[in-house]
Amino acid sequence: MSDTTRSAGDPELTTYRDVQVSPDFSELRRRFRRFVFPMTGLFLVWYFLYVLLAAYAPGFMSSRIGGNINVALLFGLGQFVSTFAITMIYVRWADRRFDAEADRMRQLIEGADR
Amino acid sequence: MSPATSLTAIGLVIVATIGIGLFGLRISRTTSDFYVASRVVTPRWNASAISGEYLSAASFLGVAGLVLVNGADMLWFSVGYTVGYLMLLVLVAAPLRRSGAYTLPDFAETRFESAFVRRICAGLVVGIGTLYLLPQLHGAGLTLQTVTGAPPDVGAAVVAVIVVINVAAGGMRSITFVQAFQYWLKLTALALPVFVILIAWRSVEHPVGVLEALQGAGAEWAEPLSTAGGRDHPLYATYSLLLALCFGTMGLPHVLVRFYTNPDGRAARRTTVVVLALLGTFYLFPPVYAVLGRTFAPDLVGSGADTVVLELPGRIFPGTAGDLLGALVAAGAFAAFLSTSSGLTVAIAGVIDQDLLRSRLHRWTSGDYVAVNSFRIAALLSMCVPYLAFLLTGSLSLADTVGLAFAVAASTFCPLLVLGIWWRRMSTTGAAAGLIVGGVAASAAALVNVVGGPDDGWPQALVGQPAAWTMPLAFITVIVVSKLTPDKIPAGTARSMVRLHTPEAVDVDRGLPQPPYRSS
Repeated sequence: MSDTTRSAGDPELTTYRDVQVSPDFSELRRRFRRFVFPMTGLFLVWYFLYVLLAAYAPGFMSSRIGGNINVALLFGLGQFVSTFAITMIYVRWADRRFDAEADRMRQLIEGADR
Repeated sequence: MSPATSLTAIGLVIVATIGIGLFGLRISRTTSDFYVASRVVTPRWNASAISGEYLSAASFLGVAGLVLVNGADMLWFSVGYTVGYLMLLVLVAAPLRRSGAYTLPDFAETRFESAFVRRICAGLVVGIGTLYLLPQLHGAGLTLQTVTGAPPDVGAAVVAVIVVINVAAGGMRSITFVQAFQYWLKLTALALPVFVILIAWRSVEHPVGVLEALQGAGAEWAEPLSTAGGRDHPLYATYSLLLALCFGTMGLPHVLVRFYTNPDGRAARRTTVVVLALLGTFYLFPPVYAVLGRTFAPDLVGSGADTVVLELPGRIFPGTAGDLLGALVAAGAFAAFLSTSSGLTVAIAGVIDQDLLRSRLHRWTSGDYVAVNSFRIAALLSMCVPYLAFLLTGSLSLADTVGLAFAVAASTFCPLLVLGIWWRRMSTTGAAAGLIVGGVAASAAALVNVVGGPDDGWPQALVGQPAAWTMPLAFITVIVVSKLTPDKIPAGTARSMVRLHTPEAVDVDRGLPQPPYRSS
């Protein structure tokens, strides 16, 4: 890569590469990925499952639970609830875990500057 | 419906829009103000503005129309239009904000270090924006025609002129206030008639046959994945639609630029939560109009389904009450056209200004020009193409056409953003190839639809809802071409990755571009 050669005379670039190869940075990215991608996948599967159930299991979906409430209605409302739940979980996670990690990264980078 | 009441209401919306726009003018001075409201908008204002901008003709008129004709499957439009924001939030919002880029082309250029990729992105922003503006103009024409009988050209021209004036005069700052106001207007306009109808029923003995219409002869309409409206392969179409809406939102130019107006990432997250609540509330109402329409306006199923929201109040309450409610709905509809069109015009004009116009103006006038004027000319240009397209196209389904804009975005900007943010080995050639392949495939499908596509079978399904094949096609193209061209991986990828993924509290040089122009 060209920036290894350039980095010799460019202190700023060295810092960037230091951060990029540091275990903290890999950990940060991995943590983010490990949370975000499974969450997105799960969420999509749940939505797509609803469509499949409506198509191939109409009997199950229209079975009544009580009064005028059936499985489809419950699952439908569940999609609203789960969308909000995922959003809230993400926001809480980002506020707590991710911002905490930010402080460690700051020490790494600002420490390197001094 | 009495034209006078409705025209007054529409007039009031226009006056309010221009009025708030002018108020904004006084605090909008630099180009940074124009583009991103100087990044000082609070989450609550911003969430109302994002929702106001997002709820277009498709949401206000189109969703009810589609459900009226095609039945339960079309409810996924409501769901998809909302969940796209969640995808945007978790996958790209934070890294993109950190990138410091103002627009999608800015992001593409800094990440891939290529003016060519930048130009493709600029072209796509203009293309997606135009495809999205087209149904807004059709909606405006349709609304004024329904209310007064005026030819469709009139309504479209009114919206086009007002939007250009407003954008050119105030830019983004005034638009934030205009759009926040318009969200609440739209919600009121759609919700109030529903509540009035429900209250009226409580005092009468029977809900006049509404539920009966959903059983018996209308039962197929209420079944999921039925082909009641003449759309074949409903399972494929539903999945494809969901994919387009889930992954298209992140690639809509007017949506993304809004996330830059948050002061920091935390505020961006807060904003998204409020947006989901506001949009979720709004989308409860269009299906109610569709269900009521099956009973009170069954003739609209054949033609003019998109007018069901406008027609319904007058049909249920003949007389003054119907007139007033009808006027409120018409005003809400105009708020929808104006707000979405304004947001799109700002986004398109920003790209035309930066990528096409400014350097040329600079050359032609030998440096003797004012950058804000370049933006104003760009605003005018960005409305001209959609208006010409409007004149050339016949009637089209509002929500379907907007859905196609989502499909193009999902097949181009989604792979660019998701892979560009997360995959270190993505090459510049891969990025360009993915944009071109996905863009050409999805735009071709969109174009065939707008002109008048195939009527049944797989051709109709594949062209009508292209995302399920164009989006994977784009992803695969990016991955394969990147693997084949490892020498074209941008030299600064390490630097970009640090910038995109270190939390904002960390004080690294993000290479924040200066606002393109500062008027001292």
